[in-house]
Amino acid sequence: MNALAEGLGALADPYIGVCLVIGVLLGSLVGAVPGVTATMAVALAAGFTLTLDPLPGLAVLLSIYVAAQFGDRVPSILINTPGTPASIATTFDGYPMAKQGKAGIALTSSALVSAIGSLTGILILVFLAQPLAGFALQFGPIELFCLVVFGLTMMVGVSGGRIVKGLGAGLFGLLLGVVGRDPITGDQRFTLGFDELASGVPFIAAIIGLFGIAEVTNQLVSARPGRVPQPISQLGRWWPNRAETRSLVKPTMIGCAVGSVVGVVPAAGGDIAGVVAWDQARRTSQTPERFGKGALEGVAAPDSASCATMGGSLTTTLAVGVPGDSVMAVMLGSMVVWGLQPGPALFVTNPDLVYSLAGLMTLATLLALALALMRMRGVIKLLALPPRYLAVVVVTFCMVGTFAVQNSVFDVALMWVFGLLGLLMRRFGFPPGPLVLGLILGPLAESNLRRALLIDGGDALFSSPIGMTLIALSLLAVTVQPLRSSMKGRRSRERTPTPVV
Amino acid sequence: MSPSVTARRTAAAVAVASVAVALNGCASRGGAGETPPGNDFPNDTITLYTPTAAGGATDLTARTLGTELEDDLGVSVVVENRPGASGSVGMQFLADQNPDGYSIAVLPVEVSMLQYQDFDVDPADYDFLGQVNAQPGTIAVPADSPYQTLEDLITAAKEAPGTVSVSTAGAGSIWDAGVTALSQAADIELQAVPFDGGAPAVTAAIGGQVDAVVAGIGETAPAHADGRLRVLAVFTEEPAPALEGVPTAIEQGYDVEIGSWAVIAAPAGLPDEVRDTLESAIGTAVEAPSYIELIESGGNIVTYRDADEASEFVTEESARFAELLAS
Repeated sequence: MNALAEGLGALADPYIGVCLVIGVLLGSLVGAVPGVTATMAVALAAGFTLTLDPLPGLAVLLSIYVAAQFGDRVPSILINTPGTPASIATTFDGYPMAKQGKAGIALTSSALVSAIGSLTGILILVFLAQPLAGFALQFGPIELFCLVVFGLTMMVGVSGGRIVKGLGAGLFGLLLGVVGRDPITGDQRFTLGFDELASGVPFIAAIIGLFGIAEVTNQLVSARPGRVPQPISQLGRWWPNRAETRSLVKPTMIGCAVGSVVGVVPAAGGDIAGVVAWDQARRTSQTPERFGKGALEGVAAPDSASCATMGGSLTTTLAVGVPGDSVMAVMLGSMVVWGLQPGPALFVTNPDLVYSLAGLMTLATLLALALALMRMRGVIKLLALPPRYLAVVVVTFCMVGTFAVQNSVFDVALMWVFGLLGLLMRRFGFPPGPLVLGLILGPLAESNLRRALLIDGGDALFSSPIGMTLIALSLLAVTVQPLRSSMKGRRSRERTPTPVV
Repeated sequence: MSPSVTARRTAAAVAVASVAVALNGCASRGGAGETPPGNDFPNDTITLYTPTAAGGATDLTARTLGTELEDDLGVSVVVENRPGASGSVGMQFLADQNPDGYSIAVLPVEVSMLQYQDFDVDPADYDFLGQVNAQPGTIAVPADSPYQTLEDLITAAKEAPGTVSVSTAGAGSIWDAGVTALSQAADIELQAVPFDGGAPAVTAAIGGQVDAVVAGIGETAPAHADGRLRVLAVFTEEPAPALEGVPTAIEQGYDVEIGSWAVIAAPAGLPDEVRDTLESAIGTAVEAPSYIELIESGGNIVTYRDADEASEFVTEESARFAELLAS
């Protein structure tokens, strides 16, 4: 208890309050700009915060991390462009909701469940950090491979009812995932002579092209003179009503659970958690067919999940001394320079620091929530701009954001290639979700399977209880769901399919 | 405030922000080309590139050195990241810049390795201005490993060739080369398991998924200190201060000396005065307490070589990797 009082007492400094506010403002801003990720913002800020004392420095870094997760929802919901990879799954239902004039409710609910997710993660950090440390370390290559296989079963769900086209897009995503240097031998594969492709297809450029550019060009292509497309300035209500609030409970719980587990697993972050949670919420829903067409539950699950990963990632980082995601990798570097070596010993030598960090994250969450609720009306008015001006703003942001990732013009060109691809996919009814999933999970599946085979040969899979469990879950996921939906389909044959996105 | 005012303000703020970002991008480029290099060097902003992403060790090195160089040279030094493809993207970019001293970069050990791995990178394209640090290699095993000494591990590898797994930071990385160097020196066959970066490779060893890890001292020393790993050997000539009591591989009879390092480089063809000015500024910067603290907090060593020594060193390393990476 002494450590708790000391840890929280250290936060009573007004200077730390100022650092928090600066971090939250910065984080909300970078989150809302597609391409500028939390990792990048934290990395750039780290160069500056190293000159501060550890606690104010960590206040800036952590609040950027937290607030970016609130900011990135806004472009996902309003312009179908994920602000950071963590909100890819938010676009699945958030953007359809906005098109139905329900952006207000989507944004408010998203902010609320994000706060709940974030606070859940913090509780895990405070109470379960040490027991979970052992669990995180058991995730070797084979366990990660099995987790990724489980993630790949989500492709069916993310296809939004168009199974064949969805799987086609997913396979294409997996194929794109083999571009770059072979992860084990280092040989070139499909790089077409571009050194820029040696580390694989630049992911941010791909998602911004597939979602943002494709959406804008689609609107321009389909706009007809004289017919002004319905602007999304019709926000509808702000606060969810009683029935809607009740409908949020289950997906948020699923989201928090998924996010907490995925967060603890090293190297798996908010993007994967969001997609997994979205699909779990869909599977367990009474009305899975509404997902992908503007279901509020489809916003609640991924948003609570990606926020719940933060506490989990911090847990792994502090308790195991292993970065829980890419932002944590940067923060770990700073902590080492400050002489705060994360690892099991940290809980013995600096227990108050753990409480301080949990306190900082809680404050950052509450501040980010307040900011998100306050600024929403203002942000949305941007969309009242005539569509042709809005398109210019969105394209500018997409290009600046993509360039900023690696200061690379090649990435911007590639973003346009993916934009064109996304436009064609949209016109021919191929969903972009499975492609992105393939692109995220393909390289992880390949490299981890091959590492596992190098280490243990073919026995690797059968010697891992966690791996076996995940494979069993994957098998269940691909067999049970089709059975259930075919039964459902028989019951409601007269239902007319609605086009998605 | 009426909604339309808010709308205009928001739009204006967005416009200002994007213009600011765009200008920021231009500022670092403009001007440098037109300034004739000469005795008045430097009189304009110097860009210090790193071929790595923001936040990594090389980036922090660049940012700390940049601040020191700024004091010394009296002009702004802006750090710019050009990551991608094992650093080759940034290295090629530097080679294409004007050799006027306004574009310099912190280049890691890969500059001497990439040419043997199908990348279009050649050390001859650069003028080296000084070496700024070194990170010795180490080999470590999980805390509960049966191997107590390097000898134990080598004996096990001799008894069952190819079964002892060693994680590394990636295919073609310096630590992958470290596994090769150890295998050659001890005449054994190790199973290298490349991961995606040094941190996951060390994690795999801490979690017991692999039998050992070859990684930089900055990554293994903290885990050694709190008992999660046991470092069996340091790949240096002298024992490392950050790992007291851990013998070198050479002391244990295996001639392995390998590590990562960083040099500051400019595009080849720098005028002599410019080269001398930068060389002496770098020599001063590496003695700054802030820089020494940064490097030593990671368990690394501030190792300075002047321009001539650094050029010679890169040539030697390059020749060595030609052999090592060919095998």
